[in-house]
Amino acid sequence: MLDTFAYKAPQSKELLLDMLATGDSEVKLLSGGTDLLVNIRNGVYHPKVVVDLKKIPGFDAITWDKRAGLTIGPSVTINAILTDVKVQQHFPLLCACAKDLASYQIRNRATVVGNIVNASPCSDMAPALLCLDATIIIESRQGKREIPIAEFFTGVKRTVLRQDEVVTSIHIPSDKAGVQGVYRKLKRIQGHDLGIVGVAIANFGNGARIAVSSSAPTPVVTPLLPLDLSVPKVLQAVNAIIRPISDVRCSQEYRSFMVGEYTKRLWKEVIS
Amino acid sequence: MRIRVTVNNTIYERDIEENRTLLRFLREDLGLTGTKEGCGSGECGACTVFFNGKTVNSCMVLAAEADGSVIETIEGEASGGMLSALQKAFEEHGAVQCGFCTAGMIMSARELIHQHPHPTRAEIQEGLEGNFCRCTGYEQIIEAVLDVTGGYEPKEELSYV
Ligand SMILES: Cc1cc2nc3c(=O)[nH]c(=O)nc-3n(C[C@H](O)[C@H](O)[C@H](O)COP(=O)(O)OP(=O)(O)OC[C@H]3O[C@@H](n4cnc5c(N)ncnc54)[C@H](O)[C@@H]3O)c2cc1C
Ligand code: FES
Ligand code: FES
Repeated sequence: MLDTFAYKAPQSKELLLDMLATGDSEVKLLSGGTDLLVNIRNGVYHPKVVVDLKKIPGFDAITWDKRAGLTIGPSVTINAILTDVKVQQHFPLLCACAKDLASYQIRNRATVVGNIVNASPCSDMAPALLCLDATIIIESRQGKREIPIAEFFTGVKRTVLRQDEVVTSIHIPSDKAGVQGVYRKLKRIQGHDLGIVGVAIANFGNGARIAVSSSAPTPVVTPLLPLDLSVPKVLQAVNAIIRPISDVRCSQEYRSFMVGEYTKRLWKEVIS
Repeated sequence: MRIRVTVNNTIYERDIEENRTLLRFLREDLGLTGTKEGCGSGECGACTVFFNGKTVNSCMVLAAEADGSVIETIEGEASGGMLSALQKAFEEHGAVQCGFCTAGMIMSARELIHQHPHPTRAEIQEGLEGNFCRCTGYEQIIEAVLDVTGGYEPKEELSYV
């Protein structure tokens, strides 16, 4: 059974921002609900009010413009990303990560924004968004701020978001269009499962970046690495950003080893 | 709050508690107990239903969110007392044992066939990865889907059996 709460579905962004303005910590935003409802069920959250974002017109839009780049609205689901022709064409790395997130039914509900706000170390969308220098657009009655994704996560399941704020979109700059990339996720089973480690690599032509999930308090990314860097140096760059721990899924040693293994394989596959 | 939903072509209007899941609403308020609750948290797929034409885990949807929506469940699969082709294939291939996963499995299989009218084995495995079956070992389910989509090649009987 879920705790008792009231359900609200504002019909406009203005009404939504008004509802959040008091900064009440007992108000929780609902997008796909695939994290929120599980957390309520498990007693992690006890909200008094659940505010559904999905009835706000335009929140489900994916827009692409050659100059303005890609904008992903807060209600855009993982399957919407996977079936969008423009995303497939210009941002293959986003699709590579999206494909590995949960099961088909969950991808029908789970949103990109929800995945980022949830700020799990094993987020599957974060590696792509980190490589592609995404910006998180945040709004409240106090105004609007734009935070680079690398600064958005502050710890395990923690972000810079305040209680009165909502993420109104994620933006990827147009100069990242066409960047090729691959994501490899290690799981305990072949079916859907959270990652043991995830490694993404993006080739920008003048360098490459590697992002890693499930291996530090937040998903992490390297700076731009020269394409002629030796493999040991690449591994050094990746080891410098990860801080793996032992947990229910595997030991710290195994995690470190597999990040190294996947990094080597992907570097060979995509770069050399 | 009061919601109005269309389930298997019937319109229902009900007062609901706002913390009620769509799954509990279907089972307890409408008496449509074909849809099952396994894990209650998105892992097993026993609760899979169509929500505005897309499969979802109904244990992770609020009934309140379903106001104005169109839902399809296993109860709408057979028509006029006749099993659907998919249901028949499940029956013929022994893809149902205890049956607990079957309602969700049929919903996901239907969606999978809609996406891939002639699916490969790999596409079937991917399309059904959100549905757990603890009895069949999946092979019979995969064969049933292959059969109904024209991709089934019967295996030779083992001669020593
Ligand atoms: C069985 C199962 C398997 C899963 N597998 C994976 C997996 O393989 N990989 C993976 O990365 N994740 C996985 N997840 C986690 C989850 O599905 C994803 O993180 C998903 O993308 C969350 O999106 P959502 O729309 O459902 O978020 P919600 O649950 O709606 O929201 C998540 C959090 O963000 C807040 N929020 C939502 N939208 C906004 C907004 N616009 N502004 C501010 N705050 C907001 C909510 O209040 C909540 O705290 C899995 C979950 C389940 C149940
Ligand atoms: S009961 Fe919904 S996924 Fe298990
Ligand atoms: S038939 Fe028993 S769980 Fe699938």
